[in-house]
Amino acid sequence: MQNPGSSTQSESTQSPVTLREPQSRGSVPLSLGRIYQVIGRSGVRGQILSLLIIVLLFALGTGGRYLAVGNIRTIIALASIPAIIAIGVHQVVVLGGLDLSVEGVIAICAVSVGLLTRNSMTQADIGLWIIPVVMIIGGCAGLVNGVLHTKLRIPSLMTTLGINWVFFGLAILISRGQSIRILDPRFQAVVSSRVWGFPTVALFALGVLAIVMLFQSRTRYGRYLYAVGGDELLAKQGGVKTDRVKILVFVMAGVIYGIAALLLVARLNSSAARIGDNLLFPAMTAVAVGGVALTGGIGGAKNALFGALIVSALNNGLVMMRVNPYTQYAVNGIVLICAVALTIDRKKLGFIK
Amino acid sequence: MSTEAVVELTGVTKTFPGVVALNKVDFCVRYNEILGLVGENGAGKSTLMKILIGLYRPDAGQIRIRGQLTTLKDPESAGRNGIGMVFQEGCMIPNLTVCENLFLSHEDGFMRHGLLQHKMIRSAAREVLARVGVTFDPDTVVQTLTPGEQQMVEIARLLWLSSLYEIANPVLILDEPTTVLLEDETKRLFEILQEIKQHASVIFISHRLEEIVENTDRIVVFKDGEYVTQLDPRQAEITEIEKLMVGKELTLDHFWVSEQGEPETDQPEVLGVNGLHLKGKFEPISFSIRRGEIVSLVGLVGSGKEEICECLTGTVKATSGRVAVAGKELRLSSPGDAVDNGIGHIPKERRSAGLALDMSVMDNINLLVLRTLKKRGFIRRRLEKANALKWVTEARIKTPSIHTKSAHLSGGNQQKTIISKWLSSSVKVLILDHPTRGVDVGAKSEIYGRIRKLASSGMSLLIMCDTLEEDIGLCDRMIILKDGRVVRQVQCPPDQKPTPLDLIDAIV
Amino acid sequence: MHAIPKTINQTGKRVLARISTWPTIYFSIGLLVVFVVLFTRGSRGFLSPYNLSSILGSASILFAVGAGVTWAIATGGIDLSIGGLMSLVSVIFIVTVGTIGYWAFLLCVLVGIIGGFTNGLILARVQIPSFIVTLGMGGIFTSMAYLISPRALSAPAHTFGILDLVNGSTMGVRNIYIIAVLVFIVFFVIQRFTVAGRNIFYMGSNIRMSWLSGINVVQSKQLAFMFSGVGASVAGVMLACRQYSGYPTIGNVYILTAIATVIIGGTAMTGGTGGVLNTLIGALIMSVLQNGMTVVGIDVYLQQTILGALVIAIVAISIDRKKLAVIK
Repeated sequence: MQNPGSSTQSESTQSPVTLREPQSRGSVPLSLGRIYQVIGRSGVRGQILSLLIIVLLFALGTGGRYLAVGNIRTIIALASIPAIIAIGVHQVVVLGGLDLSVEGVIAICAVSVGLLTRNSMTQADIGLWIIPVVMIIGGCAGLVNGVLHTKLRIPSLMTTLGINWVFFGLAILISRGQSIRILDPRFQAVVSSRVWGFPTVALFALGVLAIVMLFQSRTRYGRYLYAVGGDELLAKQGGVKTDRVKILVFVMAGVIYGIAALLLVARLNSSAARIGDNLLFPAMTAVAVGGVALTGGIGGAKNALFGALIVSALNNGLVMMRVNPYTQYAVNGIVLICAVALTIDRKKLGFIK
Repeated sequence: MSTEAVVELTGVTKTFPGVVALNKVDFCVRYNEILGLVGENGAGKSTLMKILIGLYRPDAGQIRIRGQLTTLKDPESAGRNGIGMVFQEGCMIPNLTVCENLFLSHEDGFMRHGLLQHKMIRSAAREVLARVGVTFDPDTVVQTLTPGEQQMVEIARLLWLSSLYEIANPVLILDEPTTVLLEDETKRLFEILQEIKQHASVIFISHRLEEIVENTDRIVVFKDGEYVTQLDPRQAEITEIEKLMVGKELTLDHFWVSEQGEPETDQPEVLGVNGLHLKGKFEPISFSIRRGEIVSLVGLVGSGKEEICECLTGTVKATSGRVAVAGKELRLSSPGDAVDNGIGHIPKERRSAGLALDMSVMDNINLLVLRTLKKRGFIRRRLEKANALKWVTEARIKTPSIHTKSAHLSGGNQQKTIISKWLSSSVKVLILDHPTRGVDVGAKSEIYGRIRKLASSGMSLLIMCDTLEEDIGLCDRMIILKDGRVVRQVQCPPDQKPTPLDLIDAIV
Repeated sequence: MHAIPKTINQTGKRVLARISTWPTIYFSIGLLVVFVVLFTRGSRGFLSPYNLSSILGSASILFAVGAGVTWAIATGGIDLSIGGLMSLVSVIFIVTVGTIGYWAFLLCVLVGIIGGFTNGLILARVQIPSFIVTLGMGGIFTSMAYLISPRALSAPAHTFGILDLVNGSTMGVRNIYIIAVLVFIVFFVIQRFTVAGRNIFYMGSNIRMSWLSGINVVQSKQLAFMFSGVGASVAGVMLACRQYSGYPTIGNVYILTAIATVIIGGTAMTGGTGGVLNTLIGALIMSVLQNGMTVVGIDVYLQQTILGALVIAIVAISIDRKKLAVIK
């Protein structure tokens, strides 16, 4: 390099090209190179690639049955709720924290849905009002997480672990450990329906994705999320109210878990505190596989969605290949470990604990 | 250039436990000037800057900004008064883009309907960057920029912030910005600073006196927490500045020089370093330390002295070269290899790298010798206590008991604990990385005495100190490094110690 | 250096900071005494020999798994695979005890050692946070348990004599206590009297310092997670013997209760402090609490909520905030 001026100039000669691109998007004919460019910039290139490989392998392995429309629909439907949960979890991970309260918060939300809509146990029936109500309940649970974590300065791992029990216990308590049947037929009807052959539940996932993506790219706090995840001390020095960002992220996570709980209950047409069992593990796997770095600061809602799709495509493929279904846990475990091993930024973590 | 002051400090004093960092300092920054601030390490420059950006509060004295008496209670309020600092290590969030970093936490102007308008942000960013003469894509992720480019972004942010707060003449503080820059980048930086000067004041801290003399409008010299004088760079000579920085006299009283032995050439060589080389950090270097000798590595940040120590302790793997202890060649692939072969290391970051803070003084002292405190295969409490007590008494560690958590000790006593830890294991070579940093005066003297005793007991020491004075006072021999090369080796026998003045031109 | 950072200026926070300097074991013992007194007053049956035996019985299992996890937590990490490992061990034990008899005990401990070692190997060599490794490995262990038997297996009647190694008594002392005491002695000796054990705690307290002082950090981590595996396998066997059966979800509750046991005992999540003695008291507290809440008639479902809140409270009190510049 002879001159810093020249180096910046060489960059400036490149930059107009990249800057002009978005405007000329419409006029450029669709080509493979163009698609690759878009995918490359989206930050989920690796995920799309691995998804394609998985699909290809299973398509070959099952003699094409894997690619049947019905099966693709199944995969998408199966991936939807885990994707929503993963979108909730991933923001906490971007902060550099962890959320182990997924199951507890979903339990309390699910039980609330069970008890407040027309059901086999109580007289209450608030109808469609349950949608905002369950979101508020989830949000409050998230608020508790966030406030305890930031104000008492307890690591998120411990806060959410404890809170998980608190809400799970409460959920069992108010449901008296029983399963509650939902008598309002509307919920299941919506969730199991299709729109132009597309599972409705997947539309909910896309909706959540869109809102969270908008939050992340177009709002201040969405950008602060990445600032805090990148370097919390510097963000604070730069004037970011880091505690507020963290609390907001936990509240958002809670609201999203609320939506997921509602969908889960609607799909089964019944509610129980145990409905949330074993949801954390696949959600964490999806987040890690999606390329959200556990060290924080990297990865968006898209990543969580693709992660969930990969996990679900993998599990479905194994079922179609008639692999013993009980290997699912092991496969998830291996995938989780490998994904983290590949994405983690060891320099940032210093010594790994 | 006006002579009126934009920032004026009168009688500012700041003390830390045992240390007066700033003593009744009067200091001012004028409108539209580049002020060069020089002084040795520990002269009080960084304390002064931290007061200016609101990180420290002075114990006494007044701060006037544009004639107004002001209290700077945090960096935020300093920013509102138009004072900002570009830190050496950079303070931008690495995973965000340039424009995100530029406007972090001040995005209000770019919101429409509650949403950020990326187009507006980008064009504003380009405009702000153009003001400091750089033109790269504002969507670049900061960690992909060079340190020089990052500095430019930071300067741009500070300028933009002051225009946001409608401050006419902001004050920018640059703390040794040129150490991370290439030669051309440095040149470019000064060109930009000359332009910025038209509507701002710059405080420029540097150890490189040539660039201070060439590029600043006024030079202020600090020494030992006091304002010494100010100079006009057009008339100032570098040697004159050096003289003012280090002072004329060398006070050797508290270095226990009387106990320093005569250089003995018949002592066996303990540490032998041959052609040690770390690519990009320092050129092949060879030296040796005899039994009972204190050798000091001297040089500025970036001279490679820190990296040499890292290679010797096994923390970083050297590119090539040989290291031998007592004639036995070592394979240094981890600190364990160094420790096993008798190279001890007292790190600069005492709390984060030197102590198990939540463990007791006893546990800390015994770490290296646990395996010798055993009886019939089991560690014995009695032996542990005996060893810990021995060292607490010997090193005069002031602690309520050997079971006190080391976190609760003062800095000096923590340091003595660490030294004791290494002494109780029989290391042959001890590397002391800034052994007196953050230690009060009394403890300092004790630590010097301890170092002296170690040498006379036959240990070989490699030291790097906070001030040149300390290096001269303590060492038998001095190796001066500059830009990764040895520039001079100086003998420091007790009766004919060189003065800092003799050495400073080799160092800077 | 200030004992209390200046930034903590609110009174509540200052009190927390002050309390956090006390040795946590006193706090745990105090908590145990408080609970015992409370429950004794709340119910006459609490101190009955039958009830005490029930408390100590469940405390024994809790201690065995908790003592193992103590090591993982002492390194500053966490072990979430213990649940899966306990389940796997219980299934293996019931499957094999009919054919190989007493060797099944040894086999199970061996499985624990291998499982824990694998955890340690991955997290130390590949450098992934223990949270992820053990979460994933827990899934693998659970899968293996399911592959051996998806349904609950009962111990064949002719093996009941062998199971008496856990269920029986020796000279009037229940064997389950003896096992717990043995686990305690072994781990305590390692923690207190061996260099390897000490190094794990040094490493947990300040890993950078330990590395610079020549401690083999990788080895220490592996050892700690191996101990964790051993604790889980011993507890898995105990559980299988007591219930005369093994199944792939038998250990699930123990993931969280074991971690809670360690935390309540006063071993900090940040590593380096506490130890198996703390966990012994922690196990007693947990067991007293679970039993006592039932005895005095607190809804069984509310108990988990109370435990969760208690864990948060204990962490809030015991955490050393100075050690962490940024709390994540």
